[in-house]
Parts: sequence; C-alpha cells; structure tokens
Amino acid sequence: MTTEDDIDALAAEYVLGTLNGAERDSVAARAQSDEVLARAIADWEGRLSQLATALYPEVEPERADLLSRVNERIDKLDANRSGNAQIVRLQRSAMRWRAGAIAMTAMAASLAIVLGLREVMWRQVPTTYVAVLQQDDMSPAFLLSIDTSTRNVIVRPVSAPAERGKNFELWLVHSSLKTPRSLGLLSDKVPMQTEIYSDLDKATFMDATYAVSVEPEGGSKTGAPTGPVIFAGKLIPASS
Amino acid sequence: MSTAHDLSRLLERVAQGDRQAFNKLYARTSAKLFGVTLRILRRREIAEEALQDVYVRIWEKASDFRPGDSSPITWMVIIARNRSLDIMRRTTEQPLPDDYFEIRCDGNLPLELVEQREEVNRLLGCLEELEAQKREMILLAYRDGATREELAKRYECPLSTVKTRLRRGLATLKECLGK
Repeated sequence: MTTEDDIDALAAEYVLGTLNGAERDSVAARAQSDEVLARAIADWEGRLSQLATALYPEVEPERADLLSRVNERIDKLDANRSGNAQIVRLQRSAMRWRAGAIAMTAMAASLAIVLGLREVMWRQVPTTYVAVLQQDDMSPAFLLSIDTSTRNVIVRPVSAPAERGKNFELWLVHSSLKTPRSLGLLSDKVPMQTEIYSDLDKATFMDATYAVSVEPEGGSKTGAPTGPVIFAGKLIPASS
Repeated sequence: MSTAHDLSRLLERVAQGDRQAFNKLYARTSAKLFGVTLRILRRREIAEEALQDVYVRIWEKASDFRPGDSSPITWMVIIARNRSLDIMRRTTEQPLPDDYFEIRCDGNLPLELVEQREEVNRLLGCLEELEAQKREMILLAYRDGATREELAKRYECPLSTVKTRLRRGLATLKECLGK
C-alpha cells in the first residue's frame, strides 16, 4: 500500500530525474492510469519548472543539417497521418454500413452466394464472418471471409480494378495496434488465402477494420501502408 | 532571444501545422534546448540526436501547450529534459566531468523569464534555505541528470542516504513553496 507521501516522493524523484531506467519507465507507465500520481508529477513539474529555464546555458548545436533532418521526419509523420486519417474515414463509413446490420448481412450473404461460397452459408456455421471491402456501399471490391475457429482467411475479388505495376495489399487495422498489420497481397483475379497472426487475440481481429491499400509491385517496403487506402470493411456474421 | 509572447504566437501557428513558424521557433530556441540535451546527455552526437527528437515532439504536441500553465520556453525545456533523461537512463552512463559540479545561479534571468521573475526568485529563495548539500544534490540531479549512484560517489555516502536526503530536501522545498 503506497501512502500519499510515498506517491508524492516518487513523483518528485521522477521529475528530479534520479530514478533509474526501470523505475523511471514503471512510474511513466503507472502515471498513464494513476491519476493521483499523474497529478503529483504535474505539480512537481510546475514547482521545479522555473529552474529548468534558469539553469541551462545556451549552446549552439554544431551540425548544420539538424533542422532539415527534423523537417524530413515531420514530412514522414504527416504522410503517415494522412494515411491514417483515410483509414479512420473508411472505418467510419464501415461503421455506418454496419449500422444497417440486417441489410448488410443480406448483402453479404447474396454476395457470398454469387461467389460460390454457398457451402459456407448453408452450413450455417456461426464461426464464419465476412467483411465487404469497398469504397462506398455500391461498389464492393473484395469479399473477405474468416473462420474464427481456425483463423483462416479467404479474400475473393469481386470487382477489384486492376492496375498495372501496382498491387493491392490487405491490412488489419485496430486501435490497439501501433501500426496496421499486413495480411498479404491481393490479386484482382484469384482468391487469396491466409491466416490471422497467432499473437492477435480474437477480440482484436473481430473488431478490426480490414483495409486495402495500393502499393508498388511486391507490396509495401516499409511494413506500413504507403499508398492510398481505397477499400475497407468490418466483420459481420455470415449467417444470422 | 524572444519574449514569451513571441514564442507563444509561434507555437500557436506550429499547432496549426505552419512549417515556417516551426523553422523560426527552431532558430530562436535550439541553442537553449541544445544546452539542456547536451548538459544531461554529455556527448554532443547523442545530444544532437535527442534535439531532433525534441523538435519532432514539439511539432506533434504544440496544440497541448497552454499559455496559462507555463511559459513557452519552460514548456519546451521540460520536453527536452524529459527526452534527455529517458535516453540517458537507458544508455550506458557517461562519467560526470569534475567541472560539472559547479553550480552557478547568478540571478541574471533570460529575457523569456523576466515575466516570471517573482516565481523564479521564490523558488531560488526556497532553495537557499535548504542545507547546502541537499540543495546541491537537488540542483545536480535536476540540471545535469546526476543519478543517485553519481551523487553517492560524489558525496561519499551510501545510496540510501542520497535517497533520504533528496526526499527530505524535496519535501522541505515543497513546504517552503507552500503548494
């Protein structure tokens, strides 16, 4: 049991900077959820902050390219952010779509039949979920189906536009993941089969948004979407 | 050198994604912030890397800055200090050169702080009231990122004593500041 004084002393030493690496990390992590500790840290920052400015002499950095390197890093950040914003927009439209759950299930079902997934449907297996990956409600590009018991994923092209020299790449996007996870490249002609990473729990992949970005041939080299995200969708039960 | 008002205006524009304002902010503050990262990290190349991290963070966090809570330069110095401490505590520590233990606080405040003269003086006054060794320990830790181990070596006392003195010194300081 930590008393208020202990918490205050811990916060003071954190701000002073005398905790070692492990202690420092653990206090920073704890402050994320511990409001009392977070407030104590903020109070100590406030108390000692005048020192911060008064004690340090000015020193000109020697390297001349520091600012341009900072700007390059910001360029990259901004590029990623606009990609993320796009995913958020697509997530929203996927959510709107999900709101009409009945209509959506019906549409997914009819698509599945058209695509010859009849056997999946007729078995009425509750472990099968589908996501329609699309730009808007009218133009489904891929149909993703997932067996939640085997984590097996099949993605079939519906009306994906082919683009020479480019590849579609499928991503699993979830707020709990720092970056989207690639599930592989998609063909506009033949189905693709893959599996959900074993380190992702069911709650995550069930709640995830599945997004498709346009990448150079061979896929993204950076491990994150580099091209525009043009299709996205969320999972719904294949049968109800 | 710029006034707090100039820097607040620049930060406001940076928060809106104004790159020109950001470059200006860098020109006006980089020497101050490099003073911080270099002091704590002690090696120029590491301090320069840290300085880049600091400005990327300032770019990202500019919209969090509240002029009512702190002066803009203080807000930026705290970002620089925290980043430097994070890096320093994770890498092999560099020995402190002897001249690091010279504390000078001559009361010549930088222009950005003139508006907070009263608060600064109050803090310095409270530090004055501490026992000399406790005051030194606190200043060395705060300014230079000195660890408990380094302080123990310097003052030739066990780690637990350093810890106790720091904590007592800080508690007294808090009481004196009355908040």
